[in-house]
Amino acid sequence: MERSIYIFKKALLFIALIFSSKMLQAQDSKSFQLNFEPIFNNQVLVLNDSFYHIDNNDSVRFSKLKFYISSIKFYNNNKLVFAEKNSYHLVDASNSKTLYININKPFGTKFNSIKFNLGIDSITNVKGVLGGELDPTKGMYWTWHSGYINFKLEGTSNLCNTRNSVFEFHLGGFAAPYNCLQTIQLSLSNITTATVLVDVNKFLSQINLANTNAIMTPSKQAVELAKQATKMFIIK
Amino acid sequence: MKKLFVILCLITFAVAFKSINDELFYIPKNFPQPVYDFTNNPLSKEKVELGKTLFYDPILSKDNTISCSSCHLSYTAFTHTDHDLSHGIENRIGTRNAPSLANLAWSKIFMWDGAVHHLDMQALAPISNHDEMDETIANVVFKLQQSKKYRKLFYAAFNDSLITGEHTLKSISQFMLTLVSANSKYDKVMRKEANISFNEYEAKGYELFKTNCASCHKEPLFTNNEFENNGLEPDKFLNDGGRIKITKKAEDSLKFKVPSLRNVELSYPYMHDGRFKSLQMVLFHYTESVYQSPTLSHQLKNKMVLSENDKINIIAFLRTLTDEEFLQNKKFQPNQY
Repeated sequence: MERSIYIFKKALLFIALIFSSKMLQAQDSKSFQLNFEPIFNNQVLVLNDSFYHIDNNDSVRFSKLKFYISSIKFYNNNKLVFAEKNSYHLVDASNSKTLYININKPFGTKFNSIKFNLGIDSITNVKGVLGGELDPTKGMYWTWHSGYINFKLEGTSNLCNTRNSVFEFHLGGFAAPYNCLQTIQLSLSNITTATVLVDVNKFLSQINLANTNAIMTPSKQAVELAKQATKMFIIK
Repeated sequence: MKKLFVILCLITFAVAFKSINDELFYIPKNFPQPVYDFTNNPLSKEKVELGKTLFYDPILSKDNTISCSSCHLSYTAFTHTDHDLSHGIENRIGTRNAPSLANLAWSKIFMWDGAVHHLDMQALAPISNHDEMDETIANVVFKLQQSKKYRKLFYAAFNDSLITGEHTLKSISQFMLTLVSANSKYDKVMRKEANISFNEYEAKGYELFKTNCASCHKEPLFTNNEFENNGLEPDKFLNDGGRIKITKKAEDSLKFKVPSLRNVELSYPYMHDGRFKSLQMVLFHYTESVYQSPTLSHQLKNKMVLSENDKINIIAFLRTLTDEEFLQNKKFQPNQY
């Protein structure tokens, strides 16, 4: 009898242990949710319909915001702890599903910052045709000059002296000296999720749309604008 | 341990070898190793078949009127003989001469200005060009997906009837990779096959070719895969700077890719803008009308001296690059449905 009580006690202890560890685990998970939230200053960015005020009483409207996020890595005090495999994600403001990236990671990894590329690296660029997020049907590949377009922002503004007042920024190019690839590092306070604001105004406010409204080739200017584009990404 | 290493080596070798299916593709004895990485796109009969069907199908163009073969005809070395500039939908005319196609597995860069860096991506250029097919790859995939015939062909090739841009372009590459031209008289002479030898004119022409032409038109592919300014006065209407459009470097102004001379007898007219109608005119250009400009190839800085007999002999040699087996190969021609 005493023996069976002993076994019962042991079993209880075991169950309690499992529970307590489960409770601890609730703070961690096997995946990390990386969310992107396109904004213009403090307003939510809505494509096509909304007008946003820029300087001098001029306004701007957006029709497209698409960019590649690749090579997502997690760091703990600048020490690499985990890198996502096959890490290529096309974020498209017109498709809300693409704004939420779910990253599978080993359980219990500790980290306090995240690093990713804005664009597609040169090694991937020369591999030949690729599928999935990198399929050329995604509209992010230049046909007249091989290479991925890392970042697209399109819209209209009365400042642009172009057909239908359109502006188009297609930033890309992987070969020196016009390699557009940028790396962004952000500090994290949470190990299960992060929301990254993508403030288009941080990009546009540095550009005079009257002079600069069509960048569609790998060039010095494209590289400068790509550097500017990294400033759009801010942890919420 | 040593045994294991040997076995591993053999397996790796076998796998590498398997990705080059010799019924569909082979490396001629007198050729170097190909540039194309077959491990990323191993050839199969079904994929080549699908690629060939796509190559001959105008579905790739916006109004379903122009196919790859509209400008790349098998009987004329896969170019558009007698047309100086490529033709597109709605009678649009492009800005450059359609090149002949052969031995693309050895080519590391494509288009006259080197705009395309990988064979898989090459078809995107004519598909999207406004003056050629004026279509998008996304819409091509959409059209293919509607077709029962293509769903079947893609399923046979990739075990998946869901059509993607990747699979479409990989199959077009596969067909293009099979276009190996290495059975011309020149090749047979080089391989010392069945006592075949050059006649007197061809032999003299070959010697002259080696001195005057071969530094750019390097054997056995007859191109060095580089960009050169061969002294053509810029066409005032087309105003084509060539390679500079891609690299934006002044030193690349007026440079164009050195084309292969295989099957050159049939690929007239010549040059990136099809300005010369015959090989005689090409040789006249090199001896008499080289246009001086800062980027002119150093090989052409000194006047090329060739007598009329020399020119006749060089042309006799160039004709030995015609590969009848390649031109008449039924495997490269469309299936009769």
